[in-house]
Amino acid sequence: MRKLRVRKSTLAMLAVLIPLLALFVYVALRSGPLAPVPVTLATVENTSISPALFGIGTVEARYTYKIGPTFAGRVKRLDVHVGDRVKAGQVLGEMDPVDLDERIRAQDAALKRANAQLDEAQARQTYALTQEQRYEQLLEMRSSSEEVVATKRYETQVAEAGLNAARGEFARVLAEREALVAQHNNLRLIAPADGLVVARDADPGTTIMAGQTVVSLIDPESLWVNVRFDQIHARGLAANLPAQIVLRSQTGELETGRVLWMEPLADAVTEEVLAKVVFDHLPEPLPPIGELAEVTVALPALPAGPVLPNAAIQRIDGKLGVWQVKNGDLHFTQVTLGTTDLDGLVQVREGLKTGDQVVVYSAKALNARSRIQVVEQIPGVRR
Amino acid sequence: MISLAGRDIMHAWGKFVFTGVGLGLLIGVTLSMAGIYRGMVDDGKALLDNSGADLWVVQKDTLGPYAEPSSIYDDGWRGIRSMPGVARTANVTYLTMQVRHGERDVRTMVTGVTAGGPGTPGWPPYLVAGRQITRSHYEAVADIASGFKLGDCLQIRRNSYTVVGLTRRMVSSGGDPIIFIPLKDAQEAQFLKDNDAIRQQRRRTASNPAFNRPQVPGLLDAVIASQSTNSYINAVLVQIEAGRDADEVAESIRRWKRLTVYTRSQMEEILIGKLIATSSKQIAMFLVILSIVSAAIVAFIIYTLTLGKIREIAVLKLIGTKNRTIVGLIMQQAIALGAIGFVVGKITATLLMAPIFPKYVLLEPLDSVRGFVAVLMICVLSSIIAIHAALKVDPAEAIGG
Amino acid sequence: MSSKGIHIEGLRKRYGSGDTAVDALKKVDMLVAPGEVVGLIGPSGSGKSSLLKCLGAVIEPTAGRMTIGDEVIYSNAWKVRDLRALRRDKIGFIFQAPYLIPFLDVTDNVALLPMLAGKPNADSRKQAVKLLQSLDVDHRAKAMPSQLSGGEQQRVAIARGLVNRPPVILADEPTAPLDSERALAVIRILNDMARKFETAIIVVTHDEKIIPTFKRIYHIRDGVTYEEAGEGRGFE
Repeated sequence: MRKLRVRKSTLAMLAVLIPLLALFVYVALRSGPLAPVPVTLATVENTSISPALFGIGTVEARYTYKIGPTFAGRVKRLDVHVGDRVKAGQVLGEMDPVDLDERIRAQDAALKRANAQLDEAQARQTYALTQEQRYEQLLEMRSSSEEVVATKRYETQVAEAGLNAARGEFARVLAEREALVAQHNNLRLIAPADGLVVARDADPGTTIMAGQTVVSLIDPESLWVNVRFDQIHARGLAANLPAQIVLRSQTGELETGRVLWMEPLADAVTEEVLAKVVFDHLPEPLPPIGELAEVTVALPALPAGPVLPNAAIQRIDGKLGVWQVKNGDLHFTQVTLGTTDLDGLVQVREGLKTGDQVVVYSAKALNARSRIQVVEQIPGVRR
Repeated sequence: MISLAGRDIMHAWGKFVFTGVGLGLLIGVTLSMAGIYRGMVDDGKALLDNSGADLWVVQKDTLGPYAEPSSIYDDGWRGIRSMPGVARTANVTYLTMQVRHGERDVRTMVTGVTAGGPGTPGWPPYLVAGRQITRSHYEAVADIASGFKLGDCLQIRRNSYTVVGLTRRMVSSGGDPIIFIPLKDAQEAQFLKDNDAIRQQRRRTASNPAFNRPQVPGLLDAVIASQSTNSYINAVLVQIEAGRDADEVAESIRRWKRLTVYTRSQMEEILIGKLIATSSKQIAMFLVILSIVSAAIVAFIIYTLTLGKIREIAVLKLIGTKNRTIVGLIMQQAIALGAIGFVVGKITATLLMAPIFPKYVLLEPLDSVRGFVAVLMICVLSSIIAIHAALKVDPAEAIGG
Repeated sequence: MSSKGIHIEGLRKRYGSGDTAVDALKKVDMLVAPGEVVGLIGPSGSGKSSLLKCLGAVIEPTAGRMTIGDEVIYSNAWKVRDLRALRRDKIGFIFQAPYLIPFLDVTDNVALLPMLAGKPNADSRKQAVKLLQSLDVDHRAKAMPSQLSGGEQQRVAIARGLVNRPPVILADEPTAPLDSERALAVIRILNDMARKFETAIIVVTHDEKIIPTFKRIYHIRDGVTYEEAGEGRGFE
């Protein structure tokens, strides 16, 4: 009985101390740097992946018409507003002619004067010619001197030149008048094609420079997306590849389209390549020009080959590779990678074969001496 | 000879263990404090490790992307890449900001990583879930400490990003979790002004007659476009070719590119010596104070335990116990108390305290060993007062009067 | 073991020096033979405690001579180097209160002394148990002191005083906390043990119940001892 009591207290003490020590050993070995690193494994699989390219771009119109007068002037009237659809040949507005009519009238007067001058020169030339013929006959009859005839010939030539000058002057004045008339006709702003008014940059009364835009039209049928792909991720981009377009205002709704062409000029500053992607069916209502769009271009599926998740890939000492697990031991295997798809699967060209086990996730950075503990999921990751 | 200390402990082991547990909690706090200090240093080192760089190229005469703002043109890497000895370069941006996720927002360091694939400098070196970024926009890999889950949508400035991967221990030097996003998005987040500011800027530009000239219709648009470019980054991360000397490569970049370059050891010096210097001193001071308090408490406990046995000690001395035996009795108890305290402290620090701290607490085994030695030394030293008291006891006290 | 017990001649103890000097013991002469139990009786301040401490080699006397057995332990100065060993081996102590070590069980409380002297644990315990048997407390050998009654504790204390077979045992008011029946029982035990182990036992007391049991009594007054024949009742 007494013996038992002593033992009981000893037992109680052991019951406290042994778990404490066990916990201590557990804590010392299972946490901190001495603990094995939880890792998850994946098997290199032999599958086919469908890579895709992802870029963002803005909605733009292929044809944009900027309509304005060809000379400085004031806008007289403007009949269309932003959002109006217009037909080819429709008058959109008119410039104020200002003094154009008066200048045409002045040209009319100048034309009349030129006409009169022409008549006068004609008369002179006719008279000089008549005089010359008369004196030539007199010379034949020896009733005039050689010298007088020469003078008359000369006068005829002068009168012909005067007639030619008057004709030229007349043509000049006529042409000037025609130019003014053409300008007068150009006062009207006419739509060159069917389109949609997207901007009205000036209102009636505004004086504008020659070449300045008054109304901008676009061809809504020609909307496309000007997409930028990072050069590093643009391998395989080509015309006619199918594309999916997500407009920023309509996240979640997919529009389909295709690559129309890849721009031959890349952007050297942003290190991007550009491509034009057209919609298969224009979305209704039309997306605003300049709206941001995310474009995913699907590339043809690749033939089946060894594939692993890109999370497994690490760079150790400058070499790209994966931590391969062979018989429970870790070692770093250098790999050569092929194409990646957007879901993070990457083809392995060299270094691994189908069925190899590699570390995908690890709770901390691994090295060749790391002890590992294979788990289903890294602790602490919430689903 | 039997162990008097052992018998005494066994006799009142409940009280003894209880005292040890109390002491252990105090030691646990001290160990945690050391862990917090180590954690701060490790945060800095983790930041450097995770960037995967050998050299950091930053704006001239600035202290790198972490300790001071630095901005350089984003095409600067091309020149650096062509320097001899450079194996890889990558642009990177760092921006500490609140990232919104639904109702809450999280303080994070948003890191813009250059386009490429896993293994590119600046990219997260390993994941715990999900995958690495594959799209060049609007995808994010978040550190698990940010509380994000796979598939979460988070808001950085005007864009929302989908969390596609999770990492662990990817923190800034301040311990904020890192969120990796593609570089172009990060540049936008860092350098793009908010919409109001952009509109005001446009208005201001438009009202400036120098830019808005009727004779030159395209000028205004060109000026505005040039104002909203964001072709800056914070640093270029450089990996050097195997076998090259980092200092040599750094020197040639410094010389020919007229940029400031830091090597790994210089960067560590900046992060640990400058960035967290004050806060780590603060923690170190606290650690010293805690150690002193612990020592005082251990001394007090052992002194009290000894005073409670003063009569027995007098009797022991009277019946001829050697001083050595009595010193042993006290010192063994002090050491046992320290050992229990240390074990309890280590367990509580690891299992209870470290996980609840918001920032990383690194309990290094070597620190634990040092802590153990320190605890034992403190116990031995503080038992000296008790030993002194015990040796002063006159055996005559046992004989009444 | 000595045939001469303890012999004290002209022992003096002076506290302090010069003007403030106090002579606690002026002239103490005692002779206790092995197997004899003597009483030492004196009022408070008579020098009783000082004498006990000098006998117990805890404080140093000023002058005189003490002999235990054949060994002179004090002759105007300590003649023994290791007083602890002296106390351990030559002098047994029994106190007013038992003063057992609370964290050792009964056996180990008794066995502690031989252990301190360097005897192996098993032998020490065997010796202790044997002694406890003779004191009739061996049934509590594994108990802790706090589980014993007062009389049992005192018997264990006696066992501890005896265990190293010291030639001299000093008992300081060993019966004070006990009722008269138990007190007499303790004195009986002491007498038995003195005879059995040939030990000289000095019992310091002012307990009226037990004074009549001594055959010989030393009175001490103002530091001077006087010998007196006692009644010696009850144990013959």
